Amino acid sequence: MVWSAILGSTCLLLFLFQKILWLVVPFILALIIYYALLPAVQRLVLAGFSLSSGATLVALGGFAVLGGAMALAAPWVAAHVVGWNEWGARYLAGGLGFVLGTLESMEHSFEFLAQAHLTESVRQGVSDFSANFVSRNLAGGVMLAAAWLPSLLLAPFLAFFFLRDGRRFKKFIIRAVPNAFLERTLFVLDEVDRTARLYFIGLLKLTFLDAFILAAGLWGLGISAPLLLGLVTAVLAWVPYVGSILGCALVVLVAATDFPGNPGMAYGAIGLFIFVRLLDDFFFMPMTVGRSLHLHPLLTVIMIFVGGAVAGISGLMLVLPLLGVVMVLGETVGQVVTDPRLRARHSHARQLRQTAVTVDLH
Amino acid sequence: MFRFAPKESPRLKRLRSISLFKGLTLRELSILDLLLHERHYLAGEVIFDAGEEGQGIYLTLDGKVGIYHPEKSQSPLAELGADSFFGEMALLDDSPRMAQARALTDCTLAVMFRGEFLSLLETHALIASKLSLQLARHLGQRLRSVSLAGSVPGSTL
Repeated sequence: MVWSAILGSTCLLLFLFQKILWLVVPFILALIIYYALLPAVQRLVLAGFSLSSGATLVALGGFAVLGGAMALAAPWVAAHVVGWNEWGARYLAGGLGFVLGTLESMEHSFEFLAQAHLTESVRQGVSDFSANFVSRNLAGGVMLAAAWLPSLLLAPFLAFFFLRDGRRFKKFIIRAVPNAFLERTLFVLDEVDRTARLYFIGLLKLTFLDAFILAAGLWGLGISAPLLLGLVTAVLAWVPYVGSILGCALVVLVAATDFPGNPGMAYGAIGLFIFVRLLDDFFFMPMTVGRSLHLHPLLTVIMIFVGGAVAGISGLMLVLPLLGVVMVLGETVGQVVTDPRLRARHSHARQLRQTAVTVDLH
Repeated sequence: MFRFAPKESPRLKRLRSISLFKGLTLRELSILDLLLHERHYLAGEVIFDAGEEGQGIYLTLDGKVGIYHPEKSQSPLAELGADSFFGEMALLDDSPRMAQARALTDCTLAVMFRGEFLSLLETHALIASKLSLQLARHLGQRLRSVSLAGSVPGSTL
């Protein structure tokens, strides 16, 4: 019964969270920053700084590094942005050439495809799409970026307050808990914190594993910038399935452009990518993220599909950490609610307090 | 803004008098203070029961606490006053509590949760060694009292 409630609550929360993504996304980014910076704050506290000053110093340091990197990168980006446009066009042309070449060879092999003029149809479709793509999507894209920018800027501020006031907030919550439930509550808060921390550490491990294996494979195939490609596709894989498709498309574009007369290289890159994705979805993810959450690998895979069905891309991303937290909360609340001794102790403590405050009123 | 050498506040002075924290510097005490949760119990209130999974150690800041045998709850096995601590076995293993703790008078306790204590041990070796030494001394005293008297006052926690 508790497990039904846990799975039901997870699905309900996923559905609600996709309605407030503008808040959920910066909150998750803030948590990632928080867990990345927390060890530095703890070191400063152990070195004798107060929690506030430690958090402030680390946050300032983080902002300085980020700001410095952006300031250094800005002139380089400005100088190369025109070149990127050309690179983009070159890689798109390479990818398109690969697709059309594949279709032509299929037309040679299958008569019904030749009769359907598949290559010409695709060429025309791509041409129409690319001709109207910018005019149709530019305004929408700019508006989307403008709408998301303020909420994304929330992330570092949220992270700073998590670092500075997280412990105070935890104490504040614990102070409101009745004595009878104290130890259980301490346990729950610790487990929730542990679950979130291990999840994000697991996610980082997964990213590095993916990036390394894919980079090694691409390097073996002789494709250019294997490390960068591996890293970008591994980060894209944070969004299960959709991110993988984008990553695969990216790898194929590069492979087809690097070896224009050799479609075998692009097929090889696709094969490598599918192999890494299968490793990731059915082996690495259950072993890293799933293990962080103490979830059974089968449940991990099933819940990823359920999350996608309930809340789309956001559901795919959120389902595992959410399930981990709801699982800990659900199991503990189930234990507390079904424990008659704890409830009796709480009732007894309330009677004692009532007696204490009314002792002179009789 | 910075707190390299904290002043000895009444709170830190209070903590310093607890035997478990003997030998800790003010800075180390102020780090430990971040991990403590202060709780108030009324006379007669149960702090924890025998058989529960122990999640933390309790430090008596004020008042008296009685340790009761699970089947003989009339008279306490031990009475612990201010500056003492109990429930320390919860920090060392995952075994259930073996006795009940109940407030004999209105009392103020500070609770240190096992998870936070273990994390402190991992991140601060100096505090860890000092606390471990005090815990070992405390358990040694208990062991001696078992050998000498054949009874285990308060040691079944």
